Amino acid sequence: MTAETAAPVRDPAWSLSRSAIGLWVTEGVLGTLSSGVLVAVFLLLVPDDGPVPVLRWVLPALVLGYAVVAIGVRPWVRYRVHRWEVTEEAVYTLTGWLTRTWTLVPISRIQTVDVTRGVFQQLFGLASVAVLTASSQGTVRVPHLEADVAQRVADDLAHRAELVRDEVT
Amino acid sequence: MRRTSPRVVLVHTATFRQARQLVPLLIPVAAVVGLDDGVGTIVLLAAAVTALSLAAAALSWWRFGYADGPTAVVVTRGLLARSVRTVPNDRIRGVEVETPPLHRLLGLVRVRIDAAAGSVGADEEELLVDGVPRAEGDRLRARLLAHRPATAPPPGDDGQPEPPEEEELTRSDPRWLLYAPLVGSYLVVPLAAVGTLFRFLDELPDAVIPAVPGPDVSDPRVLVAALVAAVPLLALAAVVGAAVVNWRFRLLRRGGSLVAVRGLLTRRHTELEVDRIRGGTLSEGLGMRWVGAARVNALVTGLGQASRRGQLLPLGPRTTAVALLDRLVEDPGPLTAHPPAALRRRLVRSLASGVLVTALGVAVAAALGWWWAPVPGVVLTVLGVPAGTGRYRALGHRAGPRSFSVRSGWLVREQAVLQRRAVVGWKVRQSPFQRRAGLATVVACVGAGSGGYAAVDMAAADVAAFTAAASSGTWARGLRSWTDRPGRRPAAGPRAARRGPLP
Repeated sequence: MTAETAAPVRDPAWSLSRSAIGLWVTEGVLGTLSSGVLVAVFLLLVPDDGPVPVLRWVLPALVLGYAVVAIGVRPWVRYRVHRWEVTEEAVYTLTGWLTRTWTLVPISRIQTVDVTRGVFQQLFGLASVAVLTASSQGTVRVPHLEADVAQRVADDLAHRAELVRDEVT
Repeated sequence: MRRTSPRVVLVHTATFRQARQLVPLLIPVAAVVGLDDGVGTIVLLAAAVTALSLAAAALSWWRFGYADGPTAVVVTRGLLARSVRTVPNDRIRGVEVETPPLHRLLGLVRVRIDAAAGSVGADEEELLVDGVPRAEGDRLRARLLAHRPATAPPPGDDGQPEPPEEEELTRSDPRWLLYAPLVGSYLVVPLAAVGTLFRFLDELPDAVIPAVPGPDVSDPRVLVAALVAAVPLLALAAVVGAAVVNWRFRLLRRGGSLVAVRGLLTRRHTELEVDRIRGGTLSEGLGMRWVGAARVNALVTGLGQASRRGQLLPLGPRTTAVALLDRLVEDPGPLTAHPPAALRRRLVRSLASGVLVTALGVAVAAALGWWWAPVPGVVLTVLGVPAGTGRYRALGHRAGPRSFSVRSGWLVREQAVLQRRAVVGWKVRQSPFQRRAGLATVVACVGAGSGGYAAVDMAAADVAAFTAAASSGTWARGLRSWTDRPGRRPAAGPRAARRGPLP
């Protein structure tokens, strides 16, 4: 319970879409492939007695390590780390693995709500929501929700923000 | 569409406003042509430059127009590519009328119109109408500011708005200028001027620079003498710089606006809406704290980072600054100090670099036998102790009935006092080290000033109570754990929630 008591504030209730894990794994695979191709080209073109012979086994090892982290570990860690919630009065998110950041923005101060869908997000049926306020630091981003949930949340937030907007921000 | 006064062409010709970017081009031209042919070439060059400048100024005057319509201000300009900028009247945050010396000579003024900066793209949020007669400048200011419904004064008998009552809040004392040598920003100006001069000399072709036999710089006595001479010169330059900018500073309250007037050569006239002021900052640099000086900036929504506009007291005694800040926003009371764990964190941080340098120095001393190698590291480490404790002492936060305050910083200690309604969000950060020490950093997101003001390293257990007490309404209670408020637990997930109580 020590971790619980040390947390300054409560955690938001909801996690992202499970499809996000698939998306992050795909990103990891693509990253591994592209760096793998670069290393292969390096190994083919640079002669055995090249400038730094150590690089011949250090570079593949680095790519392998990256693959393990980016495909096998990071997606699940990220899924556990990101949490979000929309309450009656506010939007609330938690991000960050080592340094954790909780952001709370009241619906009455929302200026714009953006929904974005990247190429890979579309493949996995996902979308991101960004909630902007008058402050450059008061921006809430919720990555990778199911597209229909994201759209519903954005519409709902925009609608409620209009009803309760505080004009004097 | 209105035009600026044709007299502004004279001003711009004389100051090379449009032709200024040609000057770097001309220097190599002069170098190629050579200045050896005597006075004739120089006169010819000067005439050509002046003619160019006159043509450029006349062209840009001819292509410039502005109009203050019933709903928006429109400014048209551009030589080949026409640009039309339209700013709706309700986005105008302030109007500044300034009178540089040449303008004053010809009876002209320059009007700057501040438009609200959104959360994206804060630059280029300003309209400039350069060179209208003084009466037209005053008319423009009065008209643009009168559009704002909250501050429009009732019209008098002659149909003109009655001049609103004035109240003087601050009037600067010339003696306050003596604080200037202890303020970093005023010291930077003369140093930057010297730097520019050197760069300019560097760009000049060698033929133009007369060969002056300089003193031998390698002689340490010359260096020491130069340093000793530089200190009073620098101080003098800082005082002069502060005088030029802030001469006869006055802050008035006129109707619903705060008006700041200042400047020696260029009289600047800045107006801020009181209704948009959300709070203020009190900043004290290291040197300023020695002599008890401070400066006050207003935090105005929509003004973004335009800190110069928000300056309410550029430089003055701390007591005056505190009294002024009290009039802007209610004082929430004495600050709560942060827990001792915060002091440990500040000390570790400020000592770490010194210890690292010392370790490196010891290694170098062991390897090369330079006994003095660890000295800079030791000095850094020793200096780290006052720096760390100073940083810790600066930390504090407090939530009052209508306002709250946070303070941090050592080189420049800044205390922000804000109205509760200013907060548009809370951001709570906790690093692994902070988690172990039971601390957290809380940032109040504000649509004014730098966008966020932080209470660094406050006790993690106090965060929920502070955020709830420092924001208006009940929304910030969302940070408290559900166990504290039973019966308000949200639905199990977003899909369930959206079928829930939402409208």
